[in-house]
Amino acid sequence: MERGEAAPSAAEEKGEEEDDLGYRLFPDRNKKPQSFLVRSLFTFHNKCQLMLRMTLDTNPYAQLLLDAMKQSGCTVFNDRHFSCENCDGCVSGGFDSATSQIVLCQNNIRHQSHMNRVVTHELIHAFDHCRAHVDWFKNVKHLACSEIRAANLSGDCTLMNEIARFKFGLKGHHQTCVRDRAIRSILAVRKVSKETAEKAVDEVFDACFNDLEPFGRIPHSKTDAKRAYRDFQNRDRYNANL
Amino acid sequence: QPPRPCEDYWWEWKHCRGLRHAFHHYYTHGELPACGRWRDDYEACRAWETGRAAAAQEALCNSERARVMERQKYAPVWTLRKSPPPDWYLPLEQDKPN
Repeated sequence: MERGEAAPSAAEEKGEEEDDLGYRLFPDRNKKPQSFLVRSLFTFHNKCQLMLRMTLDTNPYAQLLLDAMKQSGCTVFNDRHFSCENCDGCVSGGFDSATSQIVLCQNNIRHQSHMNRVVTHELIHAFDHCRAHVDWFKNVKHLACSEIRAANLSGDCTLMNEIARFKFGLKGHHQTCVRDRAIRSILAVRKVSKETAEKAVDEVFDACFNDLEPFGRIPHSKTDAKRAYRDFQNRDRYNANL
Repeated sequence: QPPRPCEDYWWEWKHCRGLRHAFHHYYTHGELPACGRWRDDYEACRAWETGRAAAAQEALCNSERARVMERQKYAPVWTLRKSPPPDWYLPLEQDKPN
């Protein structure tokens, strides 16, 4: 699973390899879901579902990504491709490429703005999975690339979010943040050394930081995202008239 | 017709010159944005729409193509798919590893 803010990668942890590929952070992943009655009594689950619905219906980042995925042939269905579960630690979400599901951590996502960000982050992973042959499990560079893009485009690295994490910086700090978050994400889901993760991120940073699909720009606000959505909808005219 | 409606170029230019955008650009790239290009594109777009001037058309198209090329100057990390992943729509039980 690719984590948003810590999301392990999906993989079979049948003891074949030491690397559990991050599944330990999502203990509910391979269990049968609880009965409907039990689940509905847990308010976290309901709250998660409600916030998710709100994001998918109103947030321009999510709407652009959903549209772009539809265009690429991967229509996203709420009940099939999203799952609200309890997770360990500080994980907020993840993308499970083995089951093509986005996992949302109902016990760790408390606010709508956080849900918006996590959904955007994971949808970017899903979008990459949909449009390219991404080797999530064996190729650290591919993983690094997707993490760089997700940190860059989802709003993870806005100044306010960084200040809330007590990370201060201004000139070009966005890139520092993207780099650091990508490295952290890789280290959370793979048993690789810090040097390997840093090297992978450095090698692909330029290419992946500048890959702004499907946004076409780095959206710093909902206005930017709406504009990007508009440009996306007009791209046929754009490409035809170049 | 121009690749984008002329209002888009105007909007981009006004947006580029705004304080918020200047801040975000500095935060992202470590330097202040250069907005003159959007203005030139807007003027070329207007010239195209009103007079169908060939020079304006070419200038605008070149500018837009240059934008696209700038995006594509790095070698891609992964190969693009020709069709979506085959298991995207599979029901969940079948996906579970056994």
